[in-house]
Amino acid sequence: MSFIKPKWWPWGVLTVISLIILAFFVLYPLGVLFNNSVRDESGALSLAGFSQLFDDGVFLKALGNTLTLGVTVTTLSVAIGVPLAYMVARYEFPMKNLVAVLPVVTIVIPEVIVGQSWLLILGNNGLLTNFMERIGIELPSFYGWNGLIFSMTLVYYTYIYLGVLAALRGFDGQLEEAGLSLGTPPLTTRLRVLFPLMLPAVAVNALVVFSLVVGNFVLATLLGSRVPLLSVMTYNEFINEMGGSPLLQSAMSVVSILIVGIVLFLQKRVVERKLYTMTPGRAPQAAPVRSGAAMIFTGCVGFIIFLSILPLIIVFVAAFTETSGPVMRWGVWSFASILRIVRSAPEPVFNSLTFASMATVAGVVFAVLASYLIIKKRNALTQSLDYIVVMPLTISGTVMGIALVQTFNTGWLVLAGSSAIMVLCYAVRRLPFAVRNASSTLFNIPDSIEEASISLGVSPLMSFFKVVLPVMKASIVSAAILMWVTTIAELAATIVVYTGGLETMPIAIFRQIDGGRLGLASAYGAVMITMILVPIIVSIKLFRINLFSNR
Amino acid sequence: MASISIENIKKAFGGNRVLEDLSLHIPDGAFYTLLGPSGCGKTTLLRCIAGFHEADAGRLLFDEDDMTRVPTHRRDIGMVFQDYALFPDKTVFDNVAYGLRARGVGKAELRQRADRAIESVGLASLAERYPAQMSGGQRQRVALARALVIRPRVLLMDEPLSNLDAKMRTQMRDVILDLVQEAHITTVFVTHDQEEALAMSDRIAIMDRGRIAQIGTPEELYGMPVDAYVADFIGSANTIPVSIESADPLSAGNVRYLLGGRSLDGVRACDRLDGTGILIARPEELSLAPVDPIVPNAVPASVLRRQYLGFKTSYRVKLREGPEIRVDLSAISRAVDFHPGDSVQVLFPAQSRVIRA
Ligand SMILES: Nc1ncnc2c1ncn2[C@@H]1O[C@H](COP(=O)(O)OP(=O)(O)OP(=O)(O)O)[C@@H](O)[C@H]1O
Ligand SMILES: [Mg+2]
Repeated sequence: MSFIKPKWWPWGVLTVISLIILAFFVLYPLGVLFNNSVRDESGALSLAGFSQLFDDGVFLKALGNTLTLGVTVTTLSVAIGVPLAYMVARYEFPMKNLVAVLPVVTIVIPEVIVGQSWLLILGNNGLLTNFMERIGIELPSFYGWNGLIFSMTLVYYTYIYLGVLAALRGFDGQLEEAGLSLGTPPLTTRLRVLFPLMLPAVAVNALVVFSLVVGNFVLATLLGSRVPLLSVMTYNEFINEMGGSPLLQSAMSVVSILIVGIVLFLQKRVVERKLYTMTPGRAPQAAPVRSGAAMIFTGCVGFIIFLSILPLIIVFVAAFTETSGPVMRWGVWSFASILRIVRSAPEPVFNSLTFASMATVAGVVFAVLASYLIIKKRNALTQSLDYIVVMPLTISGTVMGIALVQTFNTGWLVLAGSSAIMVLCYAVRRLPFAVRNASSTLFNIPDSIEEASISLGVSPLMSFFKVVLPVMKASIVSAAILMWVTTIAELAATIVVYTGGLETMPIAIFRQIDGGRLGLASAYGAVMITMILVPIIVSIKLFRINLFSNR
Repeated sequence: MASISIENIKKAFGGNRVLEDLSLHIPDGAFYTLLGPSGCGKTTLLRCIAGFHEADAGRLLFDEDDMTRVPTHRRDIGMVFQDYALFPDKTVFDNVAYGLRARGVGKAELRQRADRAIESVGLASLAERYPAQMSGGQRQRVALARALVIRPRVLLMDEPLSNLDAKMRTQMRDVILDLVQEAHITTVFVTHDQEEALAMSDRIAIMDRGRIAQIGTPEELYGMPVDAYVADFIGSANTIPVSIESADPLSAGNVRYLLGGRSLDGVRACDRLDGTGILIARPEELSLAPVDPIVPNAVPASVLRRQYLGFKTSYRVKLREGPEIRVDLSAISRAVDFHPGDSVQVLFPAQSRVIRA
């Protein structure tokens, strides 16, 4: 008789290996961070860090500001995203198809570019600022609350829009018809039937936006110099404490983790229970609107989309505009900025390419394996794998970076200062997206094709390669592209961990903006967006892959 | 080919004991059907034979070879899945050739065997198609060819016809039987469709909550069900509680029983009978007569509902002092028609079987 392999080969072994890797790179750094937040100078347990924080007026102010900003941006995002989704789902109007670009825009335009382009338009030397000044109108300063609220709303309303649109499309139109048939007038029916069913979807996405605003570092630091915010303060404290004991940075990180934790808890406990599963019925037909209203609809939607795409245009225009110091000479074209980064400072471009490629390969391989184990080999261990994999979602980039630096700058495995820590940052932060992407496909692959392969005499491991992987091909490509695109643009975590020689494009952009050289920043931005767009266009044209179908 | 012996197999999922000490012997070359209601453990048993589930206890033999701990891919089985499980990224030819490649069959032989298998299921012209470009019936044929081309020791099928429409289903029965008989292959076939089971099988094992209720040929199960469960499952018989008037322990199985105030003759179908018993009466074995005149071996009843089905008319009648039962009158024998509210007599044949309650 043929020899018999033990039951835990190969999936049990791979589960344990994946768990160890995740525990080491995700759980352990978080543990170190928490531990550091409750140790005093001598290493004894103490809550000194927290009490110091809560005695500190500036910290309390930052905390208050952060929460206020979160609530404001979330409210505004809902106010824009929900009506937009409703218009798109329920009405036909000219040029409606333009909204198809919105999901792409959210991915393609990195926050740092959004911040930078709006500075170019509305900043101190901004296009519009100067123009208005010339005609005698002084615009309010863009730095501070104005800029923060404006730019974050423009970034985050798409989350609400996409989430609510999906819910509206999944809404069973027969429910509304049932309401009408029972004798309630159309508007009342919508209020009584549609509204309560949509509310949870709005709430879930609003909570996501809230936690993203709280964790946002990029826009906060670019635009919020006059408004102390938790994420920026944490980062500054990290810089301050460099070389010293990391007490306050850890305590602040823990506070922001707790805020997001509470939000997630609310989401799980309160909101998700109220999410209704509807039998997917016929979505209600989109109704054409009268020509007068249609103008308004097209106008509103067009304006919002215009504002969303504007940064893309601005950054390319600025990249080819002549500059003298901090001053952009709009209308005067020049290759100087582009040539300068290509000739004398191409390192960030190469770094970004290298790190993002390595992170993409590592992340996709790990994500395919992990999601296979999670979806196809359900047991207690893979279940915990599932929980750990999504953890980085709940931790802001800055905090993630701080935890990684604290963990891997000493001890037996020193990664700080090497490109490994940059790749690690990328991979860990974007892993949840890649896993989600791979999982959704795996979920739709029936177990039976794998079993068919095994029954035909191919071992389980080989069946995975011969049968499962080919079927997943499309989703692997799209996971890889999404991973690539989002890592190229990553800033919040890598700005914390990077050291000399490891600068990436977003970091370069950030530093150029900081130094007031918006022209150079735009040149890096144009290169970065090109590197984001090319694989997307190629994959859509060449592999006919629908990148945005499951978003 | 091989015979399959299942010895005292147990399987539980958590606390849910799905298979309880189950034993079966499936002879070499038999077309053997596992039949039972949803959730009784048919799939679980089949997957234990395939090796996708490891039994908690017991042994599994193919001929004399102990397969209990052999992993699936070394069991040399062929399996046909309910959803066909064709590889979506491979053509018909590559699907069929998959198992041959795994066995390292040489190129020329592979080509020839796969082509012949595809031809034998009548798909020669579709060899380069992908599964998505084919109908359900065609996919089913590919799945069959893919499982048979490797000449497995046993062929396992889990409700392979349940995704097809009624017409295709009867057509595929013949295709399956032809192929399996030609290959002379031991086949385990899972279904919950009793007609399918009767039509196709050499032997049927009727399962009830993880146990075997009865094993037999289709004729045995239909004609001599051991209990009300089997009787009801095969041919949906009426099972009517009766009180036993006299059962002659010596004469070969005659019994007199009381029903609806009349005394009737029947056949005793178990060793001992006293007190009460269960009369098994198939709807199509019964007939109806007007309430007058009184006929022997009949029970008064009233018609509740009449359903015209074309080739037969199905009546729901309430026996006097007894339960509601079903009576089917075929179109030919339907001399008289009855309607709801009519008083009638239900005629029970003297060969109706009475079993222990
Ligand atoms: N992997 C599993 N984990 C837990 N319980 C299971 C599993 N597979 C089957 N069961 C349970 O075992 C019992 C028998 O299931 P099984 O699939 O064998 O039934 P079946 O006879 O094939 O039914 P059907 O005709 O509906 O296919 C059911 O109660 C089912 O819930
Ligand atoms: Mg089943």
